[in-house]
Amino acid sequence: MSMPSAEDHRRLLRDYVDATEQFKATNEVLSALGRSTSDPDAVLDTVVKSARRLCRSHVAAIYLIEDGTFRLASSVGLSREFVRNITDFPMEVNRGTVIGRAAVERRVQKVPDVLTDTEFVRVDVQHLGGIRSSMSAPMLLDGEVVGGLSLYRTEVDPFDDREEALLESFAAQAAIVVRNVHLVRALEDRGAELARRLEQMEALSEVGQTVGSSLVLDEVLYNIIKNAVRFAGCDGGSVMEYLEEERCFSVRTAYGSSPELLARLRTIRIELETTLVGRAAREAHPVFVPDLSQVELDPHLRLLYDDGWRSVMAVPVLRGDRIIGALVVRRRSPGAFSEEAAEFLQTFASQSATAVYNAQLFHELEKKSAELEVMSQHKSDFLASMSHELRTPLNAVIGFSEVLLERLFGDLNERQDEYLRDILSSGQHLLALLNEILDLSKVEAGRMEVALSTFSVAATVEYAVSMVRERAARHSITVSQSIAPSVDQLTSDELRVRQVLVNLLSNAVKFTHDGGRVEVIAEPVRDELLITVRDTGQGIAMEDRERIFESFQQGPREAPKEEGTGLGLTLCRKIVTLLGGRIWLESELGHGSAFHVALPLGVPADTVDANAAESAEGREPVVVIIDDDRSSLDLLSAYLTGTGLRVVRARDGDEGLSDIHRLHPAAVVLDIRLPGTDGWMVLETLKATPVTREIPVIIVSILDEAARGLAAGAADYLTKPVSREDLTSVLRRLRVLPQADTALPSAHSGIVGRTAQD
Amino acid sequence: MASPSRVLVVEDNLLNLKLVRDVLLQAGFDVVEARSGEDGIVRAQEDQPDIILMDLQLPGIDGTETMQTIRRTPMGSNIPIVALTAFAMSEDRERALRNGFDGYLSKPISVRDLPRQITEFLPNWSADD
Repeated sequence: MSMPSAEDHRRLLRDYVDATEQFKATNEVLSALGRSTSDPDAVLDTVVKSARRLCRSHVAAIYLIEDGTFRLASSVGLSREFVRNITDFPMEVNRGTVIGRAAVERRVQKVPDVLTDTEFVRVDVQHLGGIRSSMSAPMLLDGEVVGGLSLYRTEVDPFDDREEALLESFAAQAAIVVRNVHLVRALEDRGAELARRLEQMEALSEVGQTVGSSLVLDEVLYNIIKNAVRFAGCDGGSVMEYLEEERCFSVRTAYGSSPELLARLRTIRIELETTLVGRAAREAHPVFVPDLSQVELDPHLRLLYDDGWRSVMAVPVLRGDRIIGALVVRRRSPGAFSEEAAEFLQTFASQSATAVYNAQLFHELEKKSAELEVMSQHKSDFLASMSHELRTPLNAVIGFSEVLLERLFGDLNERQDEYLRDILSSGQHLLALLNEILDLSKVEAGRMEVALSTFSVAATVEYAVSMVRERAARHSITVSQSIAPSVDQLTSDELRVRQVLVNLLSNAVKFTHDGGRVEVIAEPVRDELLITVRDTGQGIAMEDRERIFESFQQGPREAPKEEGTGLGLTLCRKIVTLLGGRIWLESELGHGSAFHVALPLGVPADTVDANAAESAEGREPVVVIIDDDRSSLDLLSAYLTGTGLRVVRARDGDEGLSDIHRLHPAAVVLDIRLPGTDGWMVLETLKATPVTREIPVIIVSILDEAARGLAAGAADYLTKPVSREDLTSVLRRLRVLPQADTALPSAHSGIVGRTAQD
Repeated sequence: MASPSRVLVVEDNLLNLKLVRDVLLQAGFDVVEARSGEDGIVRAQEDQPDIILMDLQLPGIDGTETMQTIRRTPMGSNIPIVALTAFAMSEDRERALRNGFDGYLSKPISVRDLPRQITEFLPNWSADD
């Protein structure tokens, strides 16, 4: 299969967000349906509100067809006058209105502007409502048009395909409501069955609420199948998702089935063409087998039969014409399934479609993310080894030209000396380029490690200045530094801060005319350290200010005295971002430039490694963070900077467990994917040990398995990426941090941004 | 110096080896060469160098493992072994020291400074030498 691109990834993510939005809306409808079976209008109100919101229209209205005309059933955004008019003079089922046309054509109609639409006849309606762009979908029930869902905007702003698809799905939901109204009415006539039906409605509502309360898909799917099995009077069942590329079904979760059966079900491919489930999907209606011993068994049915199941019904989960998955319910005894059960499960399946669809999207997204991660890994491995291969011969080029320039083997004439200097500086330039490429690839792969320490700002500035002093002197450029008296120490990555300053300073010297000035200023501004490198060079035009931070872009047009790598500023920005800071530029053409770097000052984090923490024990409450990824550890530690908590870091499960036993921390922040003893095992061990059982464990993982985590005893479950606020609010809730947040320094909440994968 | 100090240079790249050798010979050192870790272990025993310069990335057994093997031999327990590392990154330097090297020199080596840097690692060296 072809490799996914970042664009695929974004598209998928967008689809996922769209689907989730729609999912929420569907759920609101489902919940309303569950709440008020006797009040269908309330449900239709929910549908029109959701449709208006998601399709960004001014008005949404549902009309039901009665005696050949449209009766307004529910609307949002219509004036009283409009409503009166449309009630007194209802629209007819013909091509003269958009909704009429939708009913005649039996499909969605979009009109970019009704004023230019030649068939549109209801001038009064257009005038009262100010209708311009309009879209309507028919509501179909068992092949019959029972009404329509209509949207319009009061300006010309045509509806797009996405909105069309949404409208279609809302119209289908509205049709389900009408169906349920019919069902309920039928029930009311059949008093004896009433209680049972209401129970079924409650089952639907329970599904709706689960879906709303969490997006934990397996839990949702489990609930769907559980309710389907219970109310169809069966003993067990499973939910399958349809894999379009492979044209087969795969079992996601099951109810009333042994773990062994579920495991076996998950290993088989249930083909669309050759199985009972496939047939149900192809024919788009439920199919059942009353006695498995009497039919030829496909691999799926064979598995069930061998496990002791005797009757089975497969119900397709469809979204329009598209196959999404299937529900399968089964009994241990032979027997037919009632018409009623089939009808009920079909309704149930249509309302589960979005959940199953979301599950599919989510898994595709996960898969693509993993592939992208692997690719990015390959890329940075490749760059790392390339740069090693290239550096080795460069070292020889640089070394031998130095040997000769040092006159180790005799004197040189002027020309030889000049050429050797050219060779040497070209070699050094190439080497700098290679180092920067390697650094950039590290940042991009999320592998640049941030080594926090507390160091002197003055010494760092002095070091950077010393690196350019010689070159500046050659061009009679004055380099001065001014460090505010209140500036003392900074907690950050010393090496990286130096690297950024050296880079900015050498640029400044490079682009400043002979006899010019370069100045470094360090001062605290609020809770940040602001370092400014100012020069008297030719300045940078407004339009170039963003561009120069991009790779291989050099600023001023005028040829510089020395060439740069074109990567320096890109790298600077990435590093500064990684350190939780910002970099920007002020400049005026002809009047020099000033590069500003702001780094969070903050209270130094007690981000010491566990073995070094021993001596400081016993003062502040301790939080043990267990994560094998260094940048993630750095980030989580940085989040807790200044909260009064002492952070002890562990890189694997065993180290974490020993820290926890030794320090008895106030809380544990736990990653799941760890080498060796993984997060689940750590959690299990902690919960099984009396002395550690009460320590709250917050799982912070890329895996979305909150249900499992909470069931295993985690106090909370956060899915990466996690913000500072996510983490501190959980710690406040657990009373590890004080309830009020006033003590927290707020401004560097963005400290140590994510590594540059985003 | 009474007799010139002997430096064993373990480096697989021929040009880099030649560069280090020529600079050291010119500065008055006695130089022994090895092109691989295996060769380095043998030369360390047979030629009894006063100091070893060890490239980290060697074919076959790498520089760190070679160093640790030499350390386990009688002569290797107190001889200075210095890593030659292409990586200017601090984590690599720290790793070299943690693994048991006595020091490290970053590539590209400084032709001007190399002789003095090596002298500083020699046990009988003192500042007023």
